[in-house]
Amino acid sequence: MAETSEAQASASASAPGGDAGQEEEKHDERMLECNICLDTARDAVVSMCGHLFCWPCLHQWLETRPSRQVCPVCKAAISRDKVIPLYGRGNTKQEDPRNKVPPRPAGQRTEPENNSGFPGFGFGEGFHMSFGIGAFPFGIFTSTFNFGDPRPSAAPRGTAQYEEEQFLSKIFLWVAILFVLWLIFA
Amino acid sequence: MANIAAQRIRREIKEVMKNEETAGASIKLELIDNRWTELKGEIGGPPDTPYQGGTFILEIKVPETYPFNPPKIRFLTKIWHPNVSSVTGAICLDILKDQWAAALTLRTVLLSIQALLAAAEPNDPQDAVVAKQYREDPHMFEMTAIHWTNVYAGGPTPVFEFNQKVRVLTEIGVNEQVARVALSTYHWDIERATEEIFSIYP
Repeated sequence: MAETSEAQASASASAPGGDAGQEEEKHDERMLECNICLDTARDAVVSMCGHLFCWPCLHQWLETRPSRQVCPVCKAAISRDKVIPLYGRGNTKQEDPRNKVPPRPAGQRTEPENNSGFPGFGFGEGFHMSFGIGAFPFGIFTSTFNFGDPRPSAAPRGTAQYEEEQFLSKIFLWVAILFVLWLIFA
Repeated sequence: MANIAAQRIRREIKEVMKNEETAGASIKLELIDNRWTELKGEIGGPPDTPYQGGTFILEIKVPETYPFNPPKIRFLTKIWHPNVSSVTGAICLDILKDQWAAALTLRTVLLSIQALLAAAEPNDPQDAVVAKQYREDPHMFEMTAIHWTNVYAGGPTPVFEFNQKVRVLTEIGVNEQVARVALSTYHWDIERATEEIFSIYP
């Protein structure tokens, strides 16, 4: 029955020409109604069989039954590539609605990791990770046995603070050794 | 999603109301709740059919995904028709299934159902018993359909012979609906109908 209303509409409309802009839309809104939502078509597209739709509405119709893509009005064959977007005069952005709504899904391709800074290392992340953990106790070693460096905070020999520091560093040393042994035998 | 459905139903009801004034009242649409999901449809029996003069009530359930999927429609008024179940009221109509199109409206669907009443499809039946009678004994089918229209849909033509047979069975304690279905199924042969009733409900 959409056709009857369209026929009535075209009888009263003065010029069913190509530049059906917003003015004519106001005169006779029914002529420019989407055949799916029955509202004024937005992001309008027209099928090869001449039926008007909102692109979001038509897209959803095509998505609902991808195996049987037919015109909702006359059941002629229809597809995404066989509809024509309509650009009214008042429309400033002449953008193809098929590209806009709904947004096309982005490609699933992912970019490779950027390894340009280390051309020699062909290993992945995992290698770096395990190396870092393995080095941890040696880090304690080096900080404990750094005889060469003058330690600014070192207390003079014989004082109570010196004894405490020696004691602490021995504890840390044994903890480190135990940790290394645990790493090796566990 | 539900927005499109609700908005469309609102527009469709308005449209039907507008058409009601001009094209007579052979089709009516009425809201049941305020959530736009359940409606009551009403169609008049088409002229020159056994359903003439009857008023048939239909239950309409609008899915969330309307208009991308068809509404669910069944007869609430009992009807004797090859494409409508005489028990449940389920309708066998392609546009309510795989031939649905988003540009169809409740008004056009009700018109299609009305057209189905005028032109049955006995080769694609919903009710096999009715379809068999339609093919093999058209006159018996027509009388039965007129009788059902008179009893359930307020049709103008009573079939006295059938009314009497139903009364015979109800007087011996058979449920009226059960009696009518059994008599309709067995070509109004009261003996066979009685036999059938007491073999199912001893």
